[in-house]
Amino acid sequence: MASKAWFDEVRERAAKALNKPSPYGLDVDISPFLSLAEPKSRGLLDTSKAEEVGVNLKANAMYIQVDQVYFNYLSRIPGVEVLRIEDFIDQRRDEAYEYIWRLVDPATDKYTALAALRGRGGYFIRVKKGAKVEEPIMACLYMSYGGLQAPHNIVIVEDNAEATVYTGCTIAPEVLGLHVGISEFYVGKNARLRFIMVHSWNKVAHVRPRTVVNVDDGGEYISYYVNMSRVKTLQTYPTVHLASNARAFLASILLGLGDADLDVGSGVYIHGDNGSAELISRALARDGSKIIMRAHIVGEGASRGHIDCRGLMLSNKASIQTIPGLTARNPNVMLTHEASIGRLAEDEINYLVSKGFSKDDAISAIVRGFASVEIKEIPDRVKSYIESIEKVISEKAL
Amino acid sequence: MPNIVLSIENLSVSVGSRIAIKDLNLEVPNNTILYLLGPNGAGKSTLLRTIIGYPGYNVLTGVIHFENEDVTDKPMEYRVSKGLALAHQIPPKLVGIRVIDLLSTLCKRGGCTINDVAKEMEIEHLLYREFGKGFSGGELKRVEIATLLAQRPRLALVDEPDTGVDVDSIEIVARGLKKLVEFSPHKSIVIVTHTAFIARYIEPDTTCILLNGSIIRCGEAELLYKVMRHGFKGLV
Repeated sequence: MASKAWFDEVRERAAKALNKPSPYGLDVDISPFLSLAEPKSRGLLDTSKAEEVGVNLKANAMYIQVDQVYFNYLSRIPGVEVLRIEDFIDQRRDEAYEYIWRLVDPATDKYTALAALRGRGGYFIRVKKGAKVEEPIMACLYMSYGGLQAPHNIVIVEDNAEATVYTGCTIAPEVLGLHVGISEFYVGKNARLRFIMVHSWNKVAHVRPRTVVNVDDGGEYISYYVNMSRVKTLQTYPTVHLASNARAFLASILLGLGDADLDVGSGVYIHGDNGSAELISRALARDGSKIIMRAHIVGEGASRGHIDCRGLMLSNKASIQTIPGLTARNPNVMLTHEASIGRLAEDEINYLVSKGFSKDDAISAIVRGFASVEIKEIPDRVKSYIESIEKVISEKAL
Repeated sequence: MPNIVLSIENLSVSVGSRIAIKDLNLEVPNNTILYLLGPNGAGKSTLLRTIIGYPGYNVLTGVIHFENEDVTDKPMEYRVSKGLALAHQIPPKLVGIRVIDLLSTLCKRGGCTINDVAKEMEIEHLLYREFGKGFSGGELKRVEIATLLAQRPRLALVDEPDTGVDVDSIEIVARGLKKLVEFSPHKSIVIVTHTAFIARYIEPDTTCILLNGSIIRCGEAELLYKVMRHGFKGLV
């Protein structure tokens, strides 16, 4: 069977890439995570941690995973299907074969290889043709015990459908873990996927999500990513491929605390004509954190793109680097970028104090303003989650 | 109610290593629209920022009384809480803070409604825009005056409301300034200008000329028209 051959090939290619480092981010020794021993986790979800990252556990469509041992999912929303990835493969192996490891190469680096060989769980979400789903589809990936968590997520938004997927990823305090989430998203013709991901890790966690998105003609992919807590190392570089008339908007809000090492980027390839991409990132660096913001737009079709990277230095020991890149392979391309890094502006603080703010309130308002990115056309419920997360970020940043 | 709202005696101010205000005296009585005129670099903005207590504006000598209280050594937060307010010549851009966010905070304190303020200054279309980003000169001034209307100060200090502003916006700005006079329990305001365009819409009661960091003359409205006709040179 073709599907069996494909999954065998995935494993073979992964096995050969287990020593292949990622071009970006600090290298993590993955050997402790290769063990085949059964995890000792009891799979208990800490609901307060889930709520902290904005996950509504009463949602009508959701997926919950604890470590690599507990999985729960449901969908009561018409037109929305939610499954655990293994159940999807078991039930519809031939269909799964068309989507799994098709966008993300298992041999990309040692983290994808590890996920291909040792990963468990992850969600399969399908939004059926034409379905316009207002209520966010919720997912919570929680690490309670440590070790490896490597879920494989597939989202398919079929032609003319529309949905919001909200994923909160978090971990118990002091738990040493490596999280490698593999995500492959398929956005159909004239479809729209809004993907919100909120990360709240701990000071010993390593995080290496790998995401590739394919957007068909006239489709739209809107992504909002937040890292709101301590993390040891975090490296990710989601890549989006746009067909004709497709659009991508990716925003990242990165809070660097402690000695965190963050290397977060995104790349958009505009293959078709009349595509557009906007990449926005905001980094707030406190303590001794190091943040690299990468962004790259490749215009192959007649297209437009803009990159906006801004960093706010909140400590003398932190560092921020921006690496925006633009590539044009078509004369009818208009690509721009702007990048800036600085400290809190005294004139802005004084201005607000002159309007009656206390100095602390003025600083808080400016930091919160810095961390807030306007995302058009997101459901009000999601907007309110994001606003509360922005508030938490500004509090933690100070 | 004191007859003199604001009084400044023998004020000298340094900004960095430069002495920007020298031995300046000024009084703002009740029921007074006071125009402070002077060429670029005369010290007008420095004076307003010193009155409101901006950091970096160091009082070397002299005293500032607001409503009979010596506020010379008080921080800006205190002075604003007492009812002084400054309309900035060029407000900074506030990344990620929308006009509505700022007005909503100010209205909560001042007891206004955002819609009333926005309507008065015709800035409804700017409410959901990032503060200052991509605004025209007129829009920037209208929003700035709107923040003062939301603050409802006891005495407004308005810095260059007519610089870089189109004619239509000047009319709206002047309307806002008249409202500020109305809101003031003293019915007074201080307006700094070097072009005096705004005087076509809101007439002065007193005009003072500031040159090289000192007030060289105060007079009635006529003085302003004299300056507009002949410039500052004849006054030295």
